[in-house]
Amino acid sequence: MKSKFKLGIRSKITFGYVIIVLALIVSAFYLNSQIRSLQEERNQIIKYDSQVLTLSNNIEKSLLEMQASKRGFIITGDEDYLENYYQATRDWEQDYNTLYSLLNGNTEQLERLAVIKSTINHWIATSGDPVIDMKREGRQEDLDEHFSVDEGRSDLVFMEQQFEEFRITESEAIYANTSGLDKQNDKIGTAITLFLILVTIVAVTSATAVSNSIIKTVKNVTNSIHRITRSEGDLGERIKVNTKDEIRDLAIATNQLLDSMENREWLQTNLAALLTKYQGIASINKLSEIFLSEITRITGATYGAFYVANKNLDETEYMKTASFSSSSQEIGRDSFKLGEGLIGQVAVRQQVFHSNNLPKDYKLIQTGLGETPPKSILIVPVKYEDKIIAVIELASLEEFEQLEIELVESVVESFGLTVNGILDRIEIVRLLNESRAMTEELQAQSEELQTQSEELQSQSEELQMQTEELTIINEQLEDRTKEAEAKSRELEKAKKELEATAGQLILSSNYKSEFLANMSHELRTPLNSILILSEMLGENDSNNLTEEQAEFAKVIHSSGKDLLALINDILDLSKVEAGKLDILFGEVNMDELPHLLEQTFSPVAKQKEIAFNIVKSSEVNDIFYTDEKRFNQILKNLLSNAFKFTEQGSVTLAINKLDEQKISADMGKLSEDWLEIAIIDTGIGISKDKHQLIFESFQQADGATVRKYGGTGLGLSISKEFSKLLGGWIDLQSEEGKGSTFTLTLPSLPNGISEVCLEKLKQAEEGHKEVAATTEVIEDTPPQAELVVHQPELDVIANLPTLNAECDIFEGKNILIVDDDNRNIFALKTALEHNGINILVAKHGLECIEIMKSNHDIDLVLMDIMMPVMDGYETMTRIRKDLQMTEIPIIAITAKAMKTDRDKCIDAGASDYISKPINLEQLFSVLRVWLVSQGSMNNDVPSI
Amino acid sequence: MSHQSDFGSNHDLSTEHTDLEVELLLKAVFRLSGYDFLLYNRSSITRRIENRMRISGLSTITELTNLIIHNEDYLHQILNDFSINVTEMFRNPSFFKAFRNEVIPKLREFPEIRIWHAGCATGEEVFSMAVLIEEEGLMDKTVIYATDMNEDVLEKAKNGVFPIHKMQAYTKNYQLAGGQESFSQYYKTDRQYAYFHKSLLKNIIFAQHNLVTDQSFNEFHIIICRNVLIYFTQRLQNQVHHLFHESLMNGGYLGLGDKETLRFTEIVANYNEVNGNERIYQKVK
Repeated sequence: MKSKFKLGIRSKITFGYVIIVLALIVSAFYLNSQIRSLQEERNQIIKYDSQVLTLSNNIEKSLLEMQASKRGFIITGDEDYLENYYQATRDWEQDYNTLYSLLNGNTEQLERLAVIKSTINHWIATSGDPVIDMKREGRQEDLDEHFSVDEGRSDLVFMEQQFEEFRITESEAIYANTSGLDKQNDKIGTAITLFLILVTIVAVTSATAVSNSIIKTVKNVTNSIHRITRSEGDLGERIKVNTKDEIRDLAIATNQLLDSMENREWLQTNLAALLTKYQGIASINKLSEIFLSEITRITGATYGAFYVANKNLDETEYMKTASFSSSSQEIGRDSFKLGEGLIGQVAVRQQVFHSNNLPKDYKLIQTGLGETPPKSILIVPVKYEDKIIAVIELASLEEFEQLEIELVESVVESFGLTVNGILDRIEIVRLLNESRAMTEELQAQSEELQTQSEELQSQSEELQMQTEELTIINEQLEDRTKEAEAKSRELEKAKKELEATAGQLILSSNYKSEFLANMSHELRTPLNSILILSEMLGENDSNNLTEEQAEFAKVIHSSGKDLLALINDILDLSKVEAGKLDILFGEVNMDELPHLLEQTFSPVAKQKEIAFNIVKSSEVNDIFYTDEKRFNQILKNLLSNAFKFTEQGSVTLAINKLDEQKISADMGKLSEDWLEIAIIDTGIGISKDKHQLIFESFQQADGATVRKYGGTGLGLSISKEFSKLLGGWIDLQSEEGKGSTFTLTLPSLPNGISEVCLEKLKQAEEGHKEVAATTEVIEDTPPQAELVVHQPELDVIANLPTLNAECDIFEGKNILIVDDDNRNIFALKTALEHNGINILVAKHGLECIEIMKSNHDIDLVLMDIMMPVMDGYETMTRIRKDLQMTEIPIIAITAKAMKTDRDKCIDAGASDYISKPINLEQLFSVLRVWLVSQGSMNNDVPSI
Repeated sequence: MSHQSDFGSNHDLSTEHTDLEVELLLKAVFRLSGYDFLLYNRSSITRRIENRMRISGLSTITELTNLIIHNEDYLHQILNDFSINVTEMFRNPSFFKAFRNEVIPKLREFPEIRIWHAGCATGEEVFSMAVLIEEEGLMDKTVIYATDMNEDVLEKAKNGVFPIHKMQAYTKNYQLAGGQESFSQYYKTDRQYAYFHKSLLKNIIFAQHNLVTDQSFNEFHIIICRNVLIYFTQRLQNQVHHLFHESLMNGGYLGLGDKETLRFTEIVANYNEVNGNERIYQKVK
């Protein structure tokens, strides 16, 4: 990737440094040369200066040497001095030349030097050599004279002067030279400063350039990274770098990282999305559907099929649970076996299969316009604990990207767990439901059993009761048999006696009836006279009676009539009873009957201001065979009865032919033609319990009725007897206060009535009554009548005589009263003993325990709580724990107490508690509850 | 159940035939009485039928069907057989204790309280609830609607008369259920029965109602339906649960029998568990 033209950060930085270093080198070289030339110049100046000075000094010195040597010689005449003199002359000459050459070019100084030379030469010429010669030659005077003049001195001073000047000039020149050097020095300083500035500028510039180029790209990258960070998860942006340096490498690497992160992110997102999609799904079909639709959407697959392992006993079969097809048609085989086909092989090898080279006969993907073979297929096994629990096949028109395959693989990794989880969950839910159903079933069964056992128990108890009853009856029967045997002997005897007396009785009964018949007959005779006379008196024809007296007479008359009627009735009755009444069957004209009756009773009706209706059905035959006299008598009796007890409303006589359906077989044998005559009134009515009674002789509904309505009460019994004689009967339907209906039912008997007929008649009547009874019940009660009969109502049971039963519960029971208050004990004792309970008394807990230890017949304990020596709580605890008497009922008697006290009672072992002051009814209720035998359900209502 | 094995050995009926016969019988019952037992737990119904056959000495279910069709008494009898009326006062006392401790305090805020005892049978639990409500001082603002499909048992329930020999057990239940008074102050006895005071009946309305066929008839604060659903198939249970849900006000309470649970029902998401062990749930939506 590295380009040849790459300008890396290293080169940039190096380049910058190189520039700086080069600048430094250049400036160093320059400065160095400058400084060196300066130094040389200075050295030259110094050397020249010192040479000039030395030389000038040497010249001066040589001159002085010459002077000195000359003087020495002059003074001493010693030739040695001359040696020095000549030496000095030579030195001078040499030094001068040197100096001259040295000053070559400096004309001013050269001139001065020339002057000096000429001066010296002058001196030598004047004051040197001549003088020496003077000495040598000994010319003293010349000497003296010379010295007196001393021309040389002036030369020397001049020379000295010249030298001084020379030197000054020279030092001035040097000074000028050094100041030039100083200037040059300053220039170098300036140059250094300039170089420094230049190098700084170069360095800063190059540093800036390099750092800028680096920072810019770095910033670029940082910004990109910041942007990516800020965008939170959107990894689409990439770092762009224009430079070709390491930053670019970094950017490229980062971009690669981003790419892989994006891929990872894509994977994770899709993975997470998938995971959330199938979160909480409980059905494997739904799961596979959702999974397929998601995975095909993500991978762009066109086909998908999902198979889940179905573990059979010997082989694993994979069943299709979902398929996906973009053309929404049903695709894929329904199942495959392990190792069967490519997909089966995948399940065996447990490896993902991915191929872009598909066999040509691979399923064609149908589109709207045609069919295309898929380009790529992907078969992925779903693993859980080394078992392939599902296989997914995907097919696509595009090639699957590596990333998509990767996604599918990583999805499947955790998916195995999910599939297994759901399979497990389904299994668990199934098992739980099963167990719940089983629990419910058990509960239902146990309740049913309870019901059944209750039924059985009640049945068995009923049976037991019945058995017991039977046993008792049996025993009684046995006794009775014995008694009966004894009695039958007695009876035998008695029977004979009875037979004898019976004969006598019949005789006497006949006598009685006869007597009655005679008697009434005999009575009638005097009565007649009374009636007649009283009637006469009542009419008061002669007007000699006061109104009051006439009224009395009328009363006597009417009483007499009543008496007569009574006597007649008695006569009739006695005749019937004595069998002396003659019945003569004959034709009765039914046509006339209404008229006859109307005639008789209309006046009464008018008098009492009540309506009298006679209704005769057209079905009634005109001729009816019966005893007309008795027939009329019955009707008259019934009608007068009806009028008698009716104050307002109406009396209706309804004559009908008896409906054929109502004629029973027995009745049919007697006659085909039956009359049904109903006398319906709206009078006071007769209560149900009196219905039977009123047909008895001398009976009316009650005493008060007699007082109010009068009458003998014989009418109905006579009518009943007559109707029997005529082969029929009388029915009564009545309700107190709502009137009565007497129905006379009679057969038409053209041939009279025989004994056989009468027997039949009896059966007919009884049969009729039964029918009547049942129909009555049917009318009165709703259809569940039968049930009501089977299941006595609670109220009825509740109303059973309880007095005896009460004693059964309490009788002979032993109750121990534990109380320290004598009054309480007395009150309780009295009340309980009254009910037959045996009472034992303990004054405190300890005593109670002692009694209970020795007496095991105690049925129940009444326990006071607040007691000396040992309180109720402790006593109860000890009874339950120490004495191990866990079953005996203990009723705690608490003061009107807090709930905690009651709880304490229960905890201590009380079976129940009641509060003071004791309500006796409540006490007995509780005693019944706790004294009733638990095993017994004798008194339970038999369940149905 | 020995009779079953007897039955099985005497009559070699295939289950399929039995199912058919049972179904025909149930259809006959439905047509004749309007009581629909087709969705009742079939095994329970079958056992009840077999029990009746044993008692009546019949050899096939069809014989019984014949009797049911032609004899109204038998129809009545089989209807009574089908309605299991096992109950007791303060049955599972811990339920009533939990109800007293966890539900009652919440009820105090309500201006009125309507309680529906669905499937009250002979009324033992209704009277238990009445005693509890009375002790908690809520009787005056409470109305208890006690319903059952069986009118015979409703008649019994109205009396508040229970066999005396059961009262010892009931007293213990009452105490375990957190009873606060002497239980005996709520009843009088004679030799056979305990008669609960009529004052308890003051705010109880007894009515015939069939959970299978009848609709909701009010909105309730509390619905108690214990050990009724166990006789129903899952489908019917769900149907009844919907009826309850519909009949319960938001925040209202549902009490079930100890073998019944809302878990795994469709309706469970609408309830909060107040006391899971005692099967007390609160409707939340």
